[in-house]
Amino acid sequence: MSVNQVLPFISTAVMLWFTVDVLQRFFVRRNPAFLFWGIGLAMFGAGSFAEAYLALAWNKWVFFVWYLFGAALNAAWLGHGTLHLLVRKKWVHVVTALLIIGSLFATNLMFQAMSNLDEAVFTTDKPISEQYGTKALDAGESVPAGAQTITTTYRGEQVTAVRGLLPLGTPVRLTTPFFNIYGLLTLVGGAIYSAYLFWRKRVMPNRVIANVIIAAGALSIGFASTLTRLGYGQFLYVGELVAAILMFAGFRLAARPQPDEEVSVQAVPSAAD
Amino acid sequence: MAIRMKTNSKSHIPQHSILFEKIVPISLILMGIITLGLILFAAGVLLGVIQF
Repeated sequence: MSVNQVLPFISTAVMLWFTVDVLQRFFVRRNPAFLFWGIGLAMFGAGSFAEAYLALAWNKWVFFVWYLFGAALNAAWLGHGTLHLLVRKKWVHVVTALLIIGSLFATNLMFQAMSNLDEAVFTTDKPISEQYGTKALDAGESVPAGAQTITTTYRGEQVTAVRGLLPLGTPVRLTTPFFNIYGLLTLVGGAIYSAYLFWRKRVMPNRVIANVIIAAGALSIGFASTLTRLGYGQFLYVGELVAAILMFAGFRLAARPQPDEEVSVQAVPSAAD
Repeated sequence: MAIRMKTNSKSHIPQHSILFEKIVPISLILMGIITLGLILFAAGVLLGVIQF
């Protein structure tokens, strides 16, 4: 077993722990931010587990889970949790509705893609992140070593492409950037903004550092995903593990009371009186 | 009448701290720039400018 086959299992374990922690807080506090984070983290964990499984064997429904939850949706749901925490306006509910409708739409497109998977191209020799997409080669571009190619018609032109599990122009792939842009903007942008607010007010140093750590964790997965799309897929799994550990550490640090916080007990009227 | 716990936060960012005066703001600016770069990359993919 190589390191790249072990890392997704560790990421899955961290994410499972993180998900349970966040969902417990949701059931205690009933804050929707924790629910969206919990769902996003569960998606992240499911994606990591699917990745680990696909490093050992093929199963088309595990691939379904990997692409839909691991590659497409999780960042947007995590980021939406941050939006809920930062903004308490009615338009956030409209965004929630759009996120749910968009996720259902992407799920439907993913179901449609399942019948067109080029399963013959799958190998356990390469990470799934390096073999899921079919890539059209530009004129004069050389074929990567060991890659299988196909000549096909795409957008009215004859093209040679490196074969991948999802054929050229699979619609579900067009939805991924929308979710990832929204996720990156809200998750990383939200953490940076929160850190800045606390820093500017010069209060809650633990939350300043926690948000910096959360932003760095979220960026590490965004960066690793971008490198994967550029052909450097070997960094994805370590990026995911770093993201899982940093975001969990940041979350725990933000939730931890400060040493000099003072707890006072006071009597307040309750509805039962 | 119910008894509730109330937390009064007294924690403040220490003054003259290199971490909070230098490292944190530089990190935030750098991460903001990287985020912007990644968003532009994703937008490029969406618009077909970047092939993947």
